[in-house]
Amino acid sequence: MSTMFGLPIEGEHLYTLEFGDIVPYFSLYTCSLFIFAAIFIIIAIITKPEKQATIVFGTDGFFEKEINISDLKFQRFMAIACGLATLGAMVSGDIFNYALFTALVGITNIGIVAATDNRHILNAAFHYGIVAMVATVFLFGGAAIALATTGTLSIWALAGKNLVPIAAKIFLVFGVFGEGMAPFYIGKSEMIRAPGAPYVLMIHVSSLLIFLRVVEIVLTV
Amino acid sequence: MQFYQIGLAAALVCVTISFWALMRERDDVHKLLLVDLIEIIGLVIIALVATDLAEALILPGLVVGISELIALAEIYIRKERRFVRTHKPIQIEVMKTAPPIISFILVVYGIILSGFSGGAVAGLGVVFYFMCIGHSERFELLETLSGYAWAFWIIAFFIFMILPQYWFIAVMISGGAILLKVTTKMSLIGTMRENYQEEQS
Repeated sequence: MSTMFGLPIEGEHLYTLEFGDIVPYFSLYTCSLFIFAAIFIIIAIITKPEKQATIVFGTDGFFEKEINISDLKFQRFMAIACGLATLGAMVSGDIFNYALFTALVGITNIGIVAATDNRHILNAAFHYGIVAMVATVFLFGGAAIALATTGTLSIWALAGKNLVPIAAKIFLVFGVFGEGMAPFYIGKSEMIRAPGAPYVLMIHVSSLLIFLRVVEIVLTV
Repeated sequence: MQFYQIGLAAALVCVTISFWALMRERDDVHKLLLVDLIEIIGLVIIALVATDLAEALILPGLVVGISELIALAEIYIRKERRFVRTHKPIQIEVMKTAPPIISFILVVYGIILSGFSGGAVAGLGVVFYFMCIGHSERFELLETLSGYAWAFWIIAFFIFMILPQYWFIAVMISGGAILLKVTTKMSLIGTMRENYQEEQS
């Protein structure tokens, strides 16, 4: 048994899945994040997309906008994929796997935002994509520096020992800042909310969850 | 460790320079290229660790970088409405006569080499053939072949792990399978040339 579950942030030990030194673990903390992500996957699967209506000013009339079914299907697929990547990031017991899952969350977020023909939204998605790509450097860089100084990537093995240098932690947090930046960029997609709702919800959830998890990792290792 | 610190400092200087360039750049395509440059430096930071594990970490890092780059390029195309028009490809006589013999030599040499590098050489031959002669739509065949090759590769790895005394047959299976897999994957590049004649008729 690792020293990890003595730490205040983890809470009780619920379940661990051991593959050598890479150990996905469910503590009270990661398990509650996992369940939260799973609930939002189910929401993305079962809810029906909204239709956008624009009110004609000063009258009772309104326009309904046509949304391509294929775009919506793509968005739903990407939302589910984003949820699965978030699930992986929540329970992964390896810093590099966490970085990879977070990068995957970034890619799928781009997919959710970009499935539209509106030029402004595509612009926003493009700029978010550039930030997300730049952020992968910090994510992987943080993991690589942690590996170089400690010789392992396993959160399980590093827990409570305070071996990972502060620079690696800062890099990791910076990387997650970049990947979790999506909610700022989808403001444009929110303004014309319907092309994407309820799938846009997944972007908020995933970025919130990867932030919460990186806090746990940084405090643990 | 000394080398590692020098290397890390050099990589961070490179990151700073490319960030500066990205900050000043206004054109979207150039931004995309600069971001790719930054990704490569990220891989350098991983490569500096210089262990087997680091080598294994570079591949997923590269895959993530490339997939993000492809996604962004698609968004750029859709955003700027820049769809490629079909154009008449170059047709010179040497492109009709040379491919059979050169592709044959490359493929045979690739099979002799076997393994990953052999796959690359043989794949180059097939790319050359497809690019010059053109192709009819046989993607299913290539995909099926690639899928079976992958399955054989995995089977070979199971033999390594479960029955290590039969390592020789496992080496043979995995060498042949990776040859096929890399060849088919690379030959898909050759099929990027559109069949002009087919589309015109």
